[in-house]
Amino acid sequence: MTPTPDPEEAQAAIEYCYAQGWSDGLPLVPASQPLVEKFLATTSRNPDEVIGELEQVGRNCTVYLAAVNAAMAGCLPEYFPVVLAAFDALMRERAARGGGWQSTSGPAPMIVVNGPVRHELGFNTAGGAFGPGFRPNATVARAIGLIVRNAFGIRPHVLEQATQGLPGRWSICLAENEEESPWPPFAVDGGQPAGVSAVSATLLRTCEFVDNRHTPDPEHVLNDIADTISRTGSLIFRDTSAGVVFCPEHAQMLAGAGFTKQDVQAWLMEHCGRTGADLRRAGKNGLRGIARFADADTSGDGTFTRILPSSRHVPIVVAGARNAAISMVVRVFGEWSGTAVEVST
Amino acid sequence: MPYPILDPTGTTATAAATKTRAPRAPRRRDLRGTTVGLLVNTKQNAAPFLDEVGRLLVQQHGATGTMARTKVNFAAPAPDDLVKEMTTGCDVIITGIGDCGSCSASAVADGIAFEAAGLPAAAICSDAFAVTADAMAELRGAPGYRYATTPHPVAVLTPDQVKQRAAQVLGDVMNLLTEPE
Repeated sequence: MTPTPDPEEAQAAIEYCYAQGWSDGLPLVPASQPLVEKFLATTSRNPDEVIGELEQVGRNCTVYLAAVNAAMAGCLPEYFPVVLAAFDALMRERAARGGGWQSTSGPAPMIVVNGPVRHELGFNTAGGAFGPGFRPNATVARAIGLIVRNAFGIRPHVLEQATQGLPGRWSICLAENEEESPWPPFAVDGGQPAGVSAVSATLLRTCEFVDNRHTPDPEHVLNDIADTISRTGSLIFRDTSAGVVFCPEHAQMLAGAGFTKQDVQAWLMEHCGRTGADLRRAGKNGLRGIARFADADTSGDGTFTRILPSSRHVPIVVAGARNAAISMVVRVFGEWSGTAVEVST
Repeated sequence: MPYPILDPTGTTATAAATKTRAPRAPRRRDLRGTTVGLLVNTKQNAAPFLDEVGRLLVQQHGATGTMARTKVNFAAPAPDDLVKEMTTGCDVIITGIGDCGSCSASAVADGIAFEAAGLPAAAICSDAFAVTADAMAELRGAPGYRYATTPHPVAVLTPDQVKQRAAQVLGDVMNLLTEPE
């Protein structure tokens, strides 16, 4: 019988990483040169290539640093091309290139994986899509968080100023349930051909469930989702962006009634919004530039204000199990770039 | 142990740029005859706050006038051409209001950039963001860089309250711009 690794050595190495300030709070896998070389061997990209830069703090991330952080996050080497694609996708977000990581909003990346790589690497594509339990989903998302902390140097209470942050920060990596989705994969909306392994990413302010399982009418479901999207608490600018991660049951019900993904987006753009009176009660009826503020003027009380300006502001993904009609509204921080990045080796 | 544990921060390679100490502009004896540059970062109440500080510096301290410019991206440092324009047209600079995670840090970064260009600067931040403002000063090679603070929150203040706050911070702003180090 092979002896188990020395737990005291392992504990000492883990504590060493904590002492350096590298950890997000959970134990890290101590990275060594041979391990990181296995990561670098999965990509043809030069280890010195800069894959992200935060000008205001004078820091950047290279392929090499991404590999060290991915190893520490607990990724297997073969996940590394997905980490790189996820990071590339995030760097296409204006907020992620700017002040988003420092924001009081404390936004969380939402990573969406499409294509054969989901099954090749063992991503969870079914129940518990947002939840823990699966190494690829958990560690790819965590790797992004460690890159922000370590390579960009954005640490909580210092350059990171999240007021409360949000549940799921550094842990949301969905693999779309393409097999039970009635619609084309999300990566197709991001400009990739169907069947290609690709990653999309944006930043979220929160996730809010819509549980609606006792109606046969798809418009009931859409109205329920529209009510959640239109919540005044989330409105701070003139426009907003809110995606929907549909469960397979809701998606299939809508598709069965003839709704394409574009139809659902158009329906939500039309129906999501609030009256001026609702907004005034919440102190958000006035506009100064694009920011909402409390205006005593009641003349707009009767006007319905729509809040989703384009279909890109309503990204739609299908994820989770087909065992209940529970979907998730995902509140986008800023706006999604509208592009997906191919996973390349 | 055959292999060391690798460092995920990369700071040994990139820290060199921040090792040199950022220059601090010579302070003025007073503000008589000066043009006060107001670099407004678009945060709620930043414009009226800085306008009032500028007005008081003219009224009470002999400044000739103000030149207000708006930084469109509050999270990032002011673009070079804006720094150049304000350096040419102004004698001292006020930046703010640092009232969020990224904009407090960048208001201080802007102050340090104007110092390097030879202009005394006073950044104004909400006191809730002192830690992140200090961290940015350190990143920019100016550890301990002094700036003015006003109590948090700023965004909810009425126009009259903004004026009171501007008056309250005026002494600190004067000390930052004119006090010799």
